Amino acid sequence: MKFKADEIASVIQKEIEDFRGQVETSEVGRVLEVGDGIARVYGLQSAMAGEMVEFQNGVRGLVFNLEENSVGVILLGPFRDIKEGDEVKTLGALLSVPVGEALLGRVVDPLGNALDGKGPVVTSETRPVETIAPGIAGRQPVKQPLQTGIKAVDSMTPIGRGQRELIIGDRKTGKTAVAIDTILAQKGGDVICVYVASGQRASNVAAVVEALEKNGAMDYSIVVSASASDPAPLQYIAPYAGAAIAEHFMYQGKHTLIVYDDLTKQAQAYRELSLLMRRPPGREAYPGDVFYCHSRLLERSVKLSDELGGGSMTALPIIETQEGEVSAYIPTNVISITDGQIYLEPDLFFAGVRPAINVGISVSRVGGNAQTKAMKKVAGSLRLDLAAFRELEAFAQLGTDLDKATQQQLDRGYRMVELLKQPQFQPLHYADQVFSIFAGTNGFFDAVPVDKVLEVEQEMIRFMREQKSEVRDAMVETGELDAEALTAALTEFAKTLEGRFEEE
Amino acid sequence: MADVPENSRIDSVLDNPGTVAIARVYSEAFLNAAGDKAAEGIEEFTSLLQDVLAANPQFESMLITGLSSRDEKLGFIDRVIAPHSSEFFANYLRVLAQHDRLDLLKEILASARLEFEKRNGQQRVQVVSAKPLDEATLARVKERVAAAFSFEPIIEPQTDPGLIGGIVIRVGNSVYDGSLRSWLKQLAKSMHQGSLHEIQSGRDRFSHPEGD
Repeated sequence: MKFKADEIASVIQKEIEDFRGQVETSEVGRVLEVGDGIARVYGLQSAMAGEMVEFQNGVRGLVFNLEENSVGVILLGPFRDIKEGDEVKTLGALLSVPVGEALLGRVVDPLGNALDGKGPVVTSETRPVETIAPGIAGRQPVKQPLQTGIKAVDSMTPIGRGQRELIIGDRKTGKTAVAIDTILAQKGGDVICVYVASGQRASNVAAVVEALEKNGAMDYSIVVSASASDPAPLQYIAPYAGAAIAEHFMYQGKHTLIVYDDLTKQAQAYRELSLLMRRPPGREAYPGDVFYCHSRLLERSVKLSDELGGGSMTALPIIETQEGEVSAYIPTNVISITDGQIYLEPDLFFAGVRPAINVGISVSRVGGNAQTKAMKKVAGSLRLDLAAFRELEAFAQLGTDLDKATQQQLDRGYRMVELLKQPQFQPLHYADQVFSIFAGTNGFFDAVPVDKVLEVEQEMIRFMREQKSEVRDAMVETGELDAEALTAALTEFAKTLEGRFEEE
Repeated sequence: MADVPENSRIDSVLDNPGTVAIARVYSEAFLNAAGDKAAEGIEEFTSLLQDVLAANPQFESMLITGLSSRDEKLGFIDRVIAPHSSEFFANYLRVLAQHDRLDLLKEILASARLEFEKRNGQQRVQVVSAKPLDEATLARVKERVAAAFSFEPIIEPQTDPGLIGGIVIRVGNSVYDGSLRSWLKQLAKSMHQGSLHEIQSGRDRFSHPEGD
């Protein structure tokens, strides 16, 4: 389409003709000092905490500290050309971000400015970055499942819509991969995804965006990015901005998923600001209210009551630990706020178990109510079986002779561990997951060598999809497990395998 | 230290808010103690800074800096200043010396002046214009400001060619900006908004009303 130049020109002309200048009234102060991302301002006597201010050169700031003689402001833009003595005026508004459909498929900074080179985000709606989470009356229990497409998660640490499930682990253990797979699994569904990168390497964010684009997930996703090179204030507000963007959809009755990658870096940015503002340092030099910083953010993830439209916001906060130290300050804080955690371990990762989820200590505190019946049935004993297997495995390493039953249990265990492995960017439909786990726990893979399990599993899923689609469709429709039909179908599949692995 | 220029203070550098707060306390005490002789007190104070200290920089540094001890400073006040000043003012200087606050003399005077004006129902009002205003215009501005506020304005005219036209009035921390510069900014903003709206509605014509 082409814009009609005269149409635009007439709008502009009308604008100029009708223009009546208004006397702008504002309260001003003067910059006393500027530092890394902060400024102290003299004056501004009626400034409020959290209010937006504007500097002479157009940079915006946020009132952070109210002191007896000055006001501490965090700067949301380049601070190099702000000088001592510059005028600062209050804007009488809270920090807001643009929200709405126009953001879908976009990469924006925490203030809503486009970062993807696809032009400005055209939307008239905005939402305050900091809002109070809905109260008790506005919520309902989490009971609707959010499929992550990851076997180990959906079976043993199921996540419900409106839940906060922490992903925790050392660096390079695949934390982001779990979150990205979850976003990919929402393809074709009704969930809008927001990925917030706070303090991440810009190249990592670019890789995430590329992965989402390649797999067709950008259509229903929004990326909010404050990379490691952005000033600390932007890294600090990025999660709140992402939450505001997701909330907009949630209050329209839609379902949303938000990934905070990662809250450790955000806490560090907050620590930096607080120390520059001379707030007293506490444990690990974090300020006293770093807990509130995360709790108020994660409390905004809810399943809304039906009166409010029944929308939901599921949060997957990510925390990076140092050498598996979960008892450090920030990890313990976030563990205590969230409704469970997925624990990733480097040992498992390097042993080839990917996703490297330690199923023994990963929990989901509310997700069980939100599991489909079929999955609940097949996965019910999986966690205990795996725990028993780990114990047995440790015992077997002592080199004692094992009786046949124990050996069989061990073999089954090895195959189950193998079955829970899953390549990246390949989320599975929950029906396929149920088939895999059912087949594994019922011994259909016992004859398959351990290193061939994943291969045979793929064949099995294809077989079920192509030749036994009535069994699959029935399960997708009702969510119930028809064990007899499934056993029959799997027996048929097992027949196709007969003789294949005997000579090996 | 002799090569340090006498007035090494840079105008754009703001006073330390902590110092200002302390000076305010001392200036209020000064006015309260002076009672109805506050005007004379301020005159005497101004004269001390202008006629004595500014004229004798060496004496100023002896009195203000830490070169001399508290007792020596008290001695200076007794010998040099007290014989020529009112008893009240000499006492006030002694109090400052006792508390090691003689270095705040300038700040205290500035603060005392503002406080004295405030007590007399006056307040400073900065009027910024693009070109110097003539007497008649300033008088009219003063009249209008006096009508709008509950105090008697003391107009401080300033010029800033960057305003292009119109005036900016500043009362305390509040700024009333009626300059051409801010009007042009408003116009640019509203035109930007209007064009954006046109572009958006033009784009919406092609999209399905229920989304794609």
